[in-house]
Amino acid sequence: MAKLPTPQELIASRPPLSGESWLDVKPEFAPGSFCYPAKKETMELLHMPNPHEWDPTADDWGLPENWEQVLCDAFADRLEKHRSLKLFMDICVRCGACADKCHFFLGTNDPKNMPVLRAELLRSLYRRDHTMLGKILGKAAGARGWDTSVVKELFYYAYQCTECRRCSLFCPYGIDTAEITMIVRELLHEVGLGTHWIMDPVKNCSFTGNHLGIQPHSFVEIVEMLADDCETVTGIRPKTPFNKKNAEILFITPSGDVFADPGIYTFMGYLLLFHELDLDYTLSTYASEGGNFGSFTSFNMAKKLNAKMYAEAERLNVKWILGGECGHMWRVINQYMDTYNGPAPANMIPPVSPITGTAFANAASTKMVHIAEFTADLIHHNKLNLDPSRNDHIITTFHDSCNPARGLGMLDEPRYVLKAVCNNFVEMPENTIREQTFCCGAGSGLNTEEIMELRMRAGMPRGNALRYVQQKFGVNHMACVCAIDRATLPPLANYWAPGVTVSGLHELVANALVMEGEQKRTMDLRQEDLPGIEEDEPAAQEGGE
Amino acid sequence: MDIRDCFRKYRDEIPRLWTEAVYATYPFETKGVLRTVSDPFGNPGADMTQEAAKGLYDAVAGEETSIDDVRASLERFVKLRAVQRHTPSRALGVFFLLKPIMREKFAPHCATPAAVSDYLTAESRLDSLALMAFDMYMADRETLAQARIDEIRDRYAQIARWARSFKAGSLIAG
Repeated sequence: MAKLPTPQELIASRPPLSGESWLDVKPEFAPGSFCYPAKKETMELLHMPNPHEWDPTADDWGLPENWEQVLCDAFADRLEKHRSLKLFMDICVRCGACADKCHFFLGTNDPKNMPVLRAELLRSLYRRDHTMLGKILGKAAGARGWDTSVVKELFYYAYQCTECRRCSLFCPYGIDTAEITMIVRELLHEVGLGTHWIMDPVKNCSFTGNHLGIQPHSFVEIVEMLADDCETVTGIRPKTPFNKKNAEILFITPSGDVFADPGIYTFMGYLLLFHELDLDYTLSTYASEGGNFGSFTSFNMAKKLNAKMYAEAERLNVKWILGGECGHMWRVINQYMDTYNGPAPANMIPPVSPITGTAFANAASTKMVHIAEFTADLIHHNKLNLDPSRNDHIITTFHDSCNPARGLGMLDEPRYVLKAVCNNFVEMPENTIREQTFCCGAGSGLNTEEIMELRMRAGMPRGNALRYVQQKFGVNHMACVCAIDRATLPPLANYWAPGVTVSGLHELVANALVMEGEQKRTMDLRQEDLPGIEEDEPAAQEGGE
Repeated sequence: MDIRDCFRKYRDEIPRLWTEAVYATYPFETKGVLRTVSDPFGNPGADMTQEAAKGLYDAVAGEETSIDDVRASLERFVKLRAVQRHTPSRALGVFFLLKPIMREKFAPHCATPAAVSDYLTAESRLDSLALMAFDMYMADRETLAQARIDEIRDRYAQIARWARSFKAGSLIAG
């Protein structure tokens, strides 16, 4: 008779829990745990190396014949090019300070998602070819060679890191595991391995400027529709200036705010705010994307996609650039843009707010200001007429998006704005906010629906903290300043803390903004009735979808 | 000793042994973190497991508790198990790890038919709780499936509105 497994055997999460070393346990490519591969034609259009069709669940990934040489050469090249990488490879003492700081580790309980061990996947390869001890002692010194299962393992774990950098905050040496992940992804691209969710937007950005590849005239029409919706809510149709030469300010924001719910309400917030200020600004149909999925691909691709910001600022002869609520866009701007495409064009000047006269010294080099800083400055100078009671039906918390928090150091400005437009604000626990913020679980190009399950476990620490303030303080809303967050936090909140809604900061700003000549507000930007508004007033004009 | 008193006697020890048994289903390198870091936000997985352990044990022991309270204590733990790549049996089978622990502790106290009957009643409560957890698990999986559908819809929501704004037969630009 066949022997049935014991109850203990049946429930072991990865049977058998033998003495196998963590490094020898290979990942299973089960649906829900990997992103779909990039299409061959996409990779060809982008002139990526070794484009080919492949299937992550197949044994053979169709790597080029000389794949090992390609990877070894590419790795050596990156070590030569980036001193930081060589340092990160050499300096780690495996103290484990980062081990339990990664949301992927906390959610998956997979040891290889400890940042130290995720980096060790690459470091073990480094030891074999680039350290004396590794060359002589091999496995005894923690070295290992390349084989196809190692390539698969690198792919699996490089796309289970959102490059959020929470781990590097706790590393006594400041090792930036995000940059290690970026290098691993670069290496994998050398043998034609990329994901559809990243490479398709990269292709679209390359050809039409934004992630969905919406062409200029259509982009304008979609924005016009949002202006119509603004009019329905406020009675005022905001201006939608496009490609206006000699405007003072060029406004660039992630295109998700134009296409996706609930990001569009944040975009409507921008339009209404700029209209109220009578700001001399322009949108661009060329620089119609603030996001940069190139930064999830390779440094060169990030540079290429970033170039349009300064190119458009030069073409339109603007003085400076105002940037919308985005996450990784700001990491690219703050940490890489100067090196990629700087210095800024000669027509640009260090940004000065035309409303308050504040000079943004922190943006003197990049000539780009984050809209949360811009609005915080307006509020500080009492330039906005705000009625925060319109947001009284919400008790909000604030999710620090990883890149603005850890990549830009912007922690207080969004809170300052939020407290000015909402009367009810509650912080999440201390070790889940500000520099220590937990990622939404889907940044760095992982915000695709085929890995929803992975995202829910990776976002668990964030969801858990949100649930805590929901239950303890009645929080029913979470604001954020990142377009990816606006897309990924609603399902996360719905899973871990059902009943909590998610919005961008400027949606709440516009809801509270008392505009000159506006009609009585009976609904918010989502066209949902504001509680406590009497029905006897003339109803707002109905807007059809 | 009355079985009820026995359950109270082991109120700390058995939930702790059960959480240890749950941790033991994770890889070796993971167990250390789960065991040693006691921070509900820094080590939420362990916190969820400990909360479930207490709620589960009290319910099995037949303590005065409402079904809503038991459900609330298990909710985060079941949600976590539902997204951790377990098969359904592995995700929820951990509840039955309580049985061998309880049997070891309570067998010496089951000397009379009445005590045996009380004990078996407690075990039956565990079976019922596991079924309740299965319902919760399925609801969580349904939420997950619906999230994928909603996200596909929301991702292009404004473009869909824009496309619908064209009258039939007119040229669709873009």
